[in-house]
Formats: sequence, structure tokens, C-alpha cells
Amino acid sequence: MRLRHLVTFVLIAAAQFGIFEVGLRTWGSSEAAPGFQGLFETDAAIGYRLKPHARTRFTTSEFSAEIAVNGAGLRDDEEIGPKPRDERRIVLLGDSLVLSVQVPFRETFGELLEQRLNSRGSALRYRVINAGVQGYGPIEEQLFFRSIVGNIQPDLVLPVVFVGNDAEEAVGSQQKLDPNRRTSEAVVDSLLTRMRRLVRRSMVLQILRLRALAVIDRLSPSVAPPEPPLQSYAARPAPRIAEGLAITRRSMHDIEQTASGAGAKAAIVLMPARFQVDDADYGRLKEIVAGTGGNLVRDAASARFQEALAPLGMPMADLLPALRAALPGPDLFYQETVHLTPRGHTVVAAALDRFIEEQGLLPR
Amino acid sequence: MVFNSLHFVWFFVVVYAAYRVLPHRAQNWLLLVASYYFYAAWDWRFLGLLVASTIVDFTCARLLGRAEAPSVRRGILVLSLGFNLTLLGFFKYFNFFADSLHGVFAALGWQVDFVTLRVLLPIGISFYTFVTMSYVIDVYRREIPPTKDLLDFAVFVAFFPHLVAGPILRATTLLAQIDSPRHISREQLRDGAWLIAWGYFQKIFVADNLAGLANAVFDPAASHTGVNVLLGVYAFAFQIYGDFAGYSNIARGTSKLMGIELIENFRFPYLVRTPQAFWRNWHISLSMWLRDYLYIPLGGNRGSEWQTQRNLFITMVLGGLWHGAAWTFVLWGAYQGLFLIGYRAADRWPPFHRFVAGAGFLARLTSWVVMFHLTCYGWLIFRSRSAGQIGGLTAGLIGNFAPATVDIPNLLVPLLLYSTPLVVVHLCEAWFDDVLAVPRLPVGVRYSIYAATCYLTLLFGNFGGAEFIYFQF
Repeated sequence: MRLRHLVTFVLIAAAQFGIFEVGLRTWGSSEAAPGFQGLFETDAAIGYRLKPHARTRFTTSEFSAEIAVNGAGLRDDEEIGPKPRDERRIVLLGDSLVLSVQVPFRETFGELLEQRLNSRGSALRYRVINAGVQGYGPIEEQLFFRSIVGNIQPDLVLPVVFVGNDAEEAVGSQQKLDPNRRTSEAVVDSLLTRMRRLVRRSMVLQILRLRALAVIDRLSPSVAPPEPPLQSYAARPAPRIAEGLAITRRSMHDIEQTASGAGAKAAIVLMPARFQVDDADYGRLKEIVAGTGGNLVRDAASARFQEALAPLGMPMADLLPALRAALPGPDLFYQETVHLTPRGHTVVAAALDRFIEEQGLLPR
Repeated sequence: MVFNSLHFVWFFVVVYAAYRVLPHRAQNWLLLVASYYFYAAWDWRFLGLLVASTIVDFTCARLLGRAEAPSVRRGILVLSLGFNLTLLGFFKYFNFFADSLHGVFAALGWQVDFVTLRVLLPIGISFYTFVTMSYVIDVYRREIPPTKDLLDFAVFVAFFPHLVAGPILRATTLLAQIDSPRHISREQLRDGAWLIAWGYFQKIFVADNLAGLANAVFDPAASHTGVNVLLGVYAFAFQIYGDFAGYSNIARGTSKLMGIELIENFRFPYLVRTPQAFWRNWHISLSMWLRDYLYIPLGGNRGSEWQTQRNLFITMVLGGLWHGAAWTFVLWGAYQGLFLIGYRAADRWPPFHRFVAGAGFLARLTSWVVMFHLTCYGWLIFRSRSAGQIGGLTAGLIGNFAPATVDIPNLLVPLLLYSTPLVVVHLCEAWFDDVLAVPRLPVGVRYSIYAATCYLTLLFGNFGGAEFIYFQF
């Protein structure tokens, strides 16, 4: 009797799982959606990358954008192909702030920069290549750049460092650079990756996973000493932030060396977090951090990255002053996703244009 | 500690595991310690008030049990009521009355400096003072004998499922269950588990998701057309029901798992067709308390019609004030009082009475629609922050309804999404006239509702951990 009841319940739960899955696939819109997750594929060295020729429309309450990945696994409507003699290529490395799934491709700062450079009347054609991938940190960018450099033949490489979390992400990914990584660890990683992909294919499982992560997050204060969020901006950051900055420095150096090997120059771009530009957001976060016993220093992360990367001697552009100096108008960042709005992209493109010009980085 | 927090989940798992293996007397000690911990988790400094209220009323009831002279008994009752009302008055209403008097004097041109204290409202004080007052009054009326066991009494007052937001229990309901050994039946386990799951659904899926809709419409800085105000008011009606009925269900469910039965606090309040029926089905434990300890002592309906109307009005105004120290709650109470009085008057007109009491579909539907909307208008008063906002929203409803401006994606669709599952189960329970109808349905239907409740809560619930609205009362 009990077994029959159990079987009945499991069958009903499975049927409803299917109904919710179909419903969410039809009407749901989040990064957990299989359509969005279908943009990625597993990569043995990096973990994952954009899937060549993947295509989807990403819609939320704030935006709707078509995302197309070309054959090289980069967000672009066109294939990269061999470089014509009169073409100069600028590559933007980075995370979701570079990939910019929130805006149509033509409105990303890379494309806007390309338009600006080509409007100068030069005989050369400039092509700006968006090599950003959601969730990447300095180490993934370093590995990814190594894997694509041969195909894209860059003249200038601009790794865009997100000062908000890149130090933390660098610490979390440093084992990917370990040449002595044991096979068993790689197998475990591969299994985990496969499981993640399985979960990613289901909207229901994706949401349940996010719920579980939130529970674990809430439980963590009771099993570990509480740590204020946004450590990169803390007045007294955790030791891992200094470690993350050092790893980032090594990654940037590696990118510069790889670029140099391909005959390209490299310069660093620092991308601030929204609250560094948005006063209301800053006030809210400062209160949250203070509530956990911390002290949020608004520009600490930008200053720390500048100081940590200065010894490399690479040209460096901090986008913070340009974003702060933008005239009052529509938001520069989206409210829910904290990524750049089309206006934010315009401001960043203009700032990069100025930086390239002033530093004499424009490939000739 | 709120029911929708991980802290409570851990707390209850540990307490329940210990509860199941302990003998009766030790269970009571466990419940007392757990209940005090539950209360202290919010603010330990106010635990003293709870303990003081418990000891004072236990002692007063014991003295009442021994005293025979009416004057002495009255004196003891006055002492107990005075203590409880002073607690309530100071912590809940001091600044309200000080500010109001200051406003009145200022309007008259007198500058009087009142002392305004930064008094923090101890959570649940309105609930546990009403519990202890009802106990002493019952002993005074000789309806129950005073308990001789301080432990049992302390558990009765502090029992954590009902401590901070009710139901407001009577000694006749709970004290006897605490006093005797409890046996937990399979039915109690099943019903308790369902009530907990359904309570969380009502809170996390319905109330907390609809809160955003209601907040947007009731934002004083916002301006909405009448149709969108109406949708916002519907959202608040379901929010407050989901929030409070959800809390009551979790309280009843956790108690059932421990073999203790609490009274139903809600019984399909939005399906009724008269204001009397609404108050028999909404926050039942408060309605009964107000009836037995305020309305009837005022004279109830024993005097003239005018006296009955006066008693109703006073009871409802004080009931409104019980909800919070603000003039909007007083206005809401006055509205409910006038609504009841108006209905009594209209009901004496035979055509009206025949229509409302009629069994025809049209009569039932019409009277339900009118009653639901008059209830919703009460919620508009209740939720507004000022008389000015009540006026503004009312003007929008009447003068600028503009049905073409209905906000479909941001108001109508979410309202339907988050309220429809609640309404479906609500109708099912009402059909069987049983708030525990779901666990008694055929296996396939029952399991479908169980699974859908879990999926909807987990997939679409708002897990922000918002406090229950009634905590502030």
C-alpha cells in the first residue's frame, strides 16, 4: 500500500516536473534558461567557453537582446577569418561586462569603439573583437587568450579587469594553471562539469540549484565566522584579496607576453562596479556591509588593482572617472543585472577611444 | 526568529527531536526553554516582560482562587488588568498618544513639550497580554479554576507556535492540553505536515510575492489610476490573508506535530457574504476575544438597538487600535464598526434580508462581490499610511478609474499567478467546509496538490525572509 502511494506520488511529481519545465522554457527568462545555457560548452582547460555557432534571444524585464556566437566561439555576427592586409585587430578580453548579453551586439562598447575608430577616415580598417565570456576571471581570460590568439591575430589586446570580483575569482581558479594537477582531480572536475551541464539543461533543476546555493549561503554564517561581503572593497580585506591581486598581475603579464609573441601590444582596462558610480546603490551597499561589521571603501578595489598592476608597466585605463563624469541622464547600469546599459556602453567606448589615442596604442 | 527562516527550521528540528523522546513533564520544561529561546532570539531584553506578565497573572489567578469577597476579587482583577494594560499602553501606545496630544495642542496654538520616548515595541506583546488577561478574567468569572502549576502556565503563555502572532488562545483550549500527557496520532502528523507546507506556501509564494505589487500601489510617491489601485488593493487583500493565515497554519501545524491542537484562526473569510460572517471567519481568536471580553461586558446586544450599535462601534474601534498605534488603524476599526452597524440596519429591511439570505446564484454572487469589495476597501484604509493617502486612493478609484490603463504585465498577470492557486485550494476547502480538506481528498488529487504546492513554493517563492505582517501588532 505504502509502495503504491510512493509510486503514485513519484509519478505525479515527475509529470508536474515536466509541466513546470515546459512552462518555464516557454515563458521563463533568466540565465538559468536552457536557451541561455546553450550558449556554453565544456572546455577541458578553462572549464567552459562560448559554443561556436550558438544563438539565442535573451529577454528579461529590463532588456531583450539577440546573442550570436561565431565559429571561433566569440560573440560576433561575422566570422573572424584570416586578417586582410589593411585590417587591424583589437581584442577585448573579459567577463560578462565585456560579453554584454544585455544589449544588442551593435550597441556593445567594442562595436561602438570599432565604429569610432573607423570613422576617422584612416585607410586602415579597424576590427574590435569581443572575446568576453560570462563568468571568466583573469586566469580564464589568460587561458582563453592563449587558445584563440593564433586564430584572431591581434594587434592590440585589452584585458578588461572587473575590479569588483576579479581578485576573488583569480583565487578560486588558480588550480587551473597547475601543471601537476592530478588526473583524479581532473576526472572529478569533469564529472562535476557533466553534472552541471545536466542541471543547466533543466530550468526546474537550475532554479532548485540556485535555491540550494542560497540556503548554503545563509547557513555559512553559522558554520564559519561571518565575513562582510565585497571584500575587494573592505577597509581591511581578507588575505586572499592580496593573493588574488598577485595572481591577476601574473595573468596580465602572461597575456602581455602572449600578445607580444603574436606581435601585438597590450594594455589593461579597469571596469568599476555599479555602486562606484551610483550613489544610491553605494549607500545601500555600505549599510549592508556595515550591518555585517565591515567597512565598505568605495574605490578601494580600483586603487588596489592600479597599485597591484602598475609594476607591469603596461598602459592602464580606469573607466571609473569617465563613468562618473557622465552627464546626468538615463542609468549607466541596469538596476537588476548591474551590467552596462546602452548609454553605459557609449560612455565606455568614448573613454577607450580617448585612451587608445592618448597612449598611442592605435595599431598603424 | 521567524517561521520562514533557516534559524527556525534548525530550532524546530532540534526541539522536536528532543520532544519526541522526553516524558510529559520534561516535554513541558523543553517547551518552556524553547519558547523563551524563540522569543529571546528576537530581543532577549524583552524576555523579562514576558516572564513578569506570566508571574503577575499566575499570582493574581491564584489569589482569585482563594479570595471570596467580591471587592477583593475585583481588586485583584483590576491589578492584573492594570498591569497588562500598562505594559501594552506604554510599549505600544505611549508615543502615539503623546504625538497625537501634541498635535492637538499645537493646533490650538499651545506649545506643550511632551516627553517622547524611543520605545521599541516588544514583539507579540499584543498577543500574550491578551492571552494572560483572558485567563485572569476567566478565573475571575469562575469559568475555570486557576492552575497551581507555574510551569504549565508559563508554557501556556509562551508556547512558541502562538507566542508572537497568535492564535490568541484561551486557557480552556490550551492549558488542559499542556497539563495532560499528549499522544500524537498519525492523522495529526499528516495534517500537521500539510498545514506547515500550506502555511509556508501562503507566506512565501502568495504573501511575499504579492507584497511587491501592493507596495508599489501604496507607495505615497506613486500615482496610479483607479483600476491599478484596485489591483493593488486585491494584491494586499491576498497578501495579508496569505501572510497571517500562513503564520496561523504553520503555528497549528507545528503544534499538531507535538500533539497539541490550536484553534482555527481563518475559515474562508473572503467567501462570506456578510460582515458578521467575515468577523466569524477572519482572525477568529481575536474576534472571539473582543466579543467575550469587550463587546459582551459592554452590554453586547442585550440593550436597545442604539446601545448595541454603540457597543459594536467601540469594540471595532478598539479592535482597530489593537492592530497598531496609528490613526489609519482607528479609521479601519471605525469603518468596520460602521459597516457592521449599517448591515444590521439594512438587514432589518425584509427585501434586503431576503436578497442576501437568498439561495439563488445571482443573489449569492452579487452579495459576495459587494462584500468582498467592501472588505477590500477596508484593506485600503488599513494599508494606507495617512488619511490623505486614503483620500487620494479613493479619489482615484471613483474619479479616475480608467480601465484601459490597467497594468497587465506588472499588476494583473502577477496578481493572477500568485493568487489563483490559493483561491483554487480555498474553494476546494470551502466546498467540503473543512480547512483540512486537502489531506482527506483521494490519493491522486491530494498528491497532485502536495507536489504542486512544493514546486510552486520552491520555484517561484520569495525566499527573502520577510517578517510576518502581524508581528508588528
